Amino acid sequence: MREQPSGKDLLDIARDVLRDDLIPALPENKRYPALMIANAMAIVMRQIETGEEGGIEEQKTLGDLLGEDGSLNDLNIILANRIREGHADGVETWQALRGVAVGKVAESNPRYLIPRDESPS
Amino acid sequence: MGLDAATITDGLTEYLSGRTGGEVAVSGVHKLSGGAIQENWALDVVVQQGDWAGEHHLVLRCDAASTVATSHSRADEFALLNAAHEAGVIVPTPCILCDDERVLGRRFFLMHWIGGVAAGHKLARLTDMPGLAGELGENLARIHSLKPPRDDLKFLGEPPDNASAAAIAMYRSYLDELDVAHPAIEWGLRWLEINAPDPCDVVLCHRDYRTGNYMVEDGHLSAVLDWEFAGWSDPLEDIGWLCAKCWRFGANDREAGGIGSREDFYAGYEIASGRTIDRDAVYYWEVMAHVRWAVIACQQAARHVSGEERSLELALTAHVVPELELEILNMTEPANA
Repeated sequence: MREQPSGKDLLDIARDVLRDDLIPALPENKRYPALMIANAMAIVMRQIETGEEGGIEEQKTLGDLLGEDGSLNDLNIILANRIREGHADGVETWQALRGVAVGKVAESNPRYLIPRDESPS
Repeated sequence: MGLDAATITDGLTEYLSGRTGGEVAVSGVHKLSGGAIQENWALDVVVQQGDWAGEHHLVLRCDAASTVATSHSRADEFALLNAAHEAGVIVPTPCILCDDERVLGRRFFLMHWIGGVAAGHKLARLTDMPGLAGELGENLARIHSLKPPRDDLKFLGEPPDNASAAAIAMYRSYLDELDVAHPAIEWGLRWLEINAPDPCDVVLCHRDYRTGNYMVEDGHLSAVLDWEFAGWSDPLEDIGWLCAKCWRFGANDREAGGIGSREDFYAGYEIASGRTIDRDAVYYWEVMAHVRWAVIACQQAARHVSGEERSLELALTAHVVPELELEILNMTEPANA
């Protein structure tokens, strides 16, 4: 095992200091940039956690849907073209896209996935 | 080259002395926050004699260093402000346009300074604004009272025969300019194509009429800002943009822009316009709103990634795209899913 704490843990504690000690002490007009930094750090932490799995999963979902092999980029291009041409209007397209979208939101903003009546206000 | 307060003070003093024929003193020049595309500077002008005699609190608006090709020039925006002002829309009163780039190195116009709060995340937390949603509706109806053709708004181009088809074609062309494909946004555009409404008579649409782009003072609308995307379109486009979930700043139960109820907003609009809003038809334009914001967010992200404009705000905008895509998909779920 390499040096502890891990990169994710370092980001986590750095973000705590930013949020708990620094942001409250900042003048009003500097808080928004600081909150953006805290948000960026949180996204990176979640990406470290997911690693390459998110992209691999997306590639598999799109490959299965299209019945094609290819890089994630290529599969996205093929699917985008088929949708635009009206050759992928079916429910299976919607289900695949929604699965991919949920995976991406889990990294970018997981709070968005919590139904409203369950989310802490 | 960036503008600074001293350049503006000197340049404007000389320019306004020439325009007003009076002795002019410019003071208190400071840059206002916000505006990735334009810069806004607050300043005070004292004119000793002539038509402008007196003290004026003004805002100078000019292009920022980087400009977006899809937005209007300052001259066009000035014409839009004038037209809106004459139609009774609550806007900062436009004063003077300077097309001569020798004065400040870029074109600018002056308008009256308006007090109030514009920031969406602040407004969505305020509670004592019972009239605001209705005022936004009433005011939007006044914007929509402007109809083509108009000589002063010729720069808006020919009105589209079919506003939704024109929007779909435009967003597809924007996506084609990006390096990465976005199938979920394509799905939204395809849904918009299949479910398109019949073409209607177009009106002047603000096309960025949302919380964050207007000012509120003492709980009341004090100015509609950011006219750079205005164009001829289906009036429901503006209504869907204001009500779309992606522009409620977290206050989801206040469906009119996170600041009030949808029915209050509709009522203000209906009384002022004399037209009834087709409730079901607005849904289509709320899907369009999410698609449009997703496309713009992808463009903004690309500006950062390409190195054209390195910015944390633009970089983070890329990470808004997934939740917009999810919302688009949730709004367009096939019946047999």
